Amino acid sequence: MVEARGLVRRYRHVTALQDVDFRLAAGDAVALVGPNGAGKTTLMELLAGVDRQSAGSVKWGAPDAPVRVGWVPHSPALYSRLTVRQNLLFFARLERVKDPRREIERLLDRADLSEVADRPVAALSTGTRQRVNLAIALVGRPSALLLDEPSATLSPDQRLRLWQWLSDLRTEDGLALLFATQSVQEAERHADRMMVLVRGKSVFEGTVAQLLQAYPQGSSSGDAAEQAFMQLIEAAPSAA
Amino acid sequence: MRLLARAPILLLLLIGYPVLVALLAAAALQGQGRAPTIALVNLDTAAQTVQVGDQRLSVDDYINRLAKQVHVERLGADQARQALDAGRVEAVLTVPAGFIADLQSGLVQPTLHLVTSRRSPIEGDAVAHQLQSAVYEFNQSLAQNYVSQILRLANLIVVGGQVGIFGRQGQVIGLTRTRRIVAQAHDQLLQRGQVRLAADLASVLSFINATQSNLGLAAPAASAIASPIRLDIVQAEHGREPLSAFGVAAALLASLALVGVLLSAGGIAAEREEHTLARLRRGLLAPPAIVLEKVLFSALACLALGLVLLGAVDLLTGLEVGRWAAWVPVLVLAGASFGAFGVIIGAIARETRTALLAALMLTLPLVFIGLIPGIAASRVAQVVPFGPGFNVFQTLLADPTIGGIWPDVLSLGILTAVFTGAAAVVLDRWSSA
Repeated sequence: MVEARGLVRRYRHVTALQDVDFRLAAGDAVALVGPNGAGKTTLMELLAGVDRQSAGSVKWGAPDAPVRVGWVPHSPALYSRLTVRQNLLFFARLERVKDPRREIERLLDRADLSEVADRPVAALSTGTRQRVNLAIALVGRPSALLLDEPSATLSPDQRLRLWQWLSDLRTEDGLALLFATQSVQEAERHADRMMVLVRGKSVFEGTVAQLLQAYPQGSSSGDAAEQAFMQLIEAAPSAA
Repeated sequence: MRLLARAPILLLLLIGYPVLVALLAAAALQGQGRAPTIALVNLDTAAQTVQVGDQRLSVDDYINRLAKQVHVERLGADQARQALDAGRVEAVLTVPAGFIADLQSGLVQPTLHLVTSRRSPIEGDAVAHQLQSAVYEFNQSLAQNYVSQILRLANLIVVGGQVGIFGRQGQVIGLTRTRRIVAQAHDQLLQRGQVRLAADLASVLSFINATQSNLGLAAPAASAIASPIRLDIVQAEHGREPLSAFGVAAALLASLALVGVLLSAGGIAAEREEHTLARLRRGLLAPPAIVLEKVLFSALACLALGLVLLGAVDLLTGLEVGRWAAWVPVLVLAGASFGAFGVIIGAIARETRTALLAALMLTLPLVFIGLIPGIAASRVAQVVPFGPGFNVFQTLLADPTIGGIWPDVLSLGILTAVFTGAAAVVLDRWSSA
């Protein structure tokens, strides 16, 4: 579905991403795990087409059959003075969705946003804004969804509802998911495999079980995975 | 205060910026810092000097004195008219034929003719005042000579002798000698017993005495001759209410520039701050399309605001706006160019508040530079949309024909295209950083 090779992103004095390869197949759920400044958002933005790589390549599908990708940025990307419905309608028209009003009603219903559809985004709670953020990413019925730390600002119950919705999307619509997170537990719970980024480099790719095999702890509990993750970070080369 | 003390650049900006804006505003409104240029048309080529009594005053001296206050360019009548119409000179000063002869005769008050420009009314007003001042000084020189000559004449009338004034020569016997002769004749008539004739001469003697006494008032009376030359000031025939047109054009420029620049700068920066710009840029809209949308919005906003302002001017003031068909495309083009300028600022700034502040701080001085007449300010103003915008507004409001707007319209069009392209490049480079 997507294949990225040798991705490099340099800013003026900083190399944010260095020679990263990545692959996402249809129906996959992959977690990008790493501490702050690891390059998760940079990789996500390069894959989403928001930013351009300094070197390397990103291919989404085949040239004759491009893949539609939904992007959920870390901070909700919404027009705060417009209502939820107006935001959805605006992006639906830009996505050239056929019968945009009907599609919007479907999304409002699915995202449980019907009650707040005509309220300005600025008046919504953080959790509701994140749902609108996700609903906009689903306009145009993408085959893959890129989510940049989607649960970082949510309360536990909002987090639960979000992951339930994403799980439904994956099982019912066959969406491929790539999400960035700082939590190994979240990766373990919602992803088939994970890629660990440290200081712009990919230092691990595999399942949590494989991580524990590489850095064995006393048990296979969540804490053990976190400890293995910490060891991985400490063992990672320091120079970017 | 501690914060400001630790940030000298901010402190400098806080003090320097208002001062800069104030200086630019003063320069725009008063045309300070440069001497205006006037065309001198000398139609009196018969003589070059003015003979006043024993003294000879040169017209060139007067022109040289004038040249200390204004740039004087000697031109023919047609050339001067063309230069005034083209805005190359602020006024035309004409020395009419027979000016020197009239001045020398003292019988006719010679008049200088000054025609000031309607294109730069404030400058024209300044030139008129400067020339009035110069004519006054020259009049003072002439008047002093005239007064001195008249006093000499009065003295000659009293004591007698040769006199030359206003180009005429004569022999005056003088009242003192006349009185002596008449008194002798009076005495002789009395001695001869011709009492009746003596009585007649007594009345003549009485007249001579009275005249001698009254001539004592000659000095203050002569001082009343204070203006040998008159300056006749008119404004060029074509055009309408220049000072009002200038003010309306300036107000229109300031309003539309602020609205256009702030709207587009704030709009693009707000989209960036709300992260929607990133969402738009990932294949939904290319940077040129995003810029074009802002430019068009600014153009429409400026069109609406401009028409409202001009409508209010037309209804509430004595200035007749007119030319509505021309105003529509001009306002759209000006709004588009202001919008493109604003998008560049908005794309560079990272926050909406920063973008708005930067847009305001850049726009105000550039608008004032557009209002300042003169080559240096004009060159700066021509590389931003505000200079050509002001010229077009002023031409539509004040000039009799609108043929002169095309160079500025073309300039606005080029600047709109250049700034739109530059804004797209800046947006592409900066918005992903």
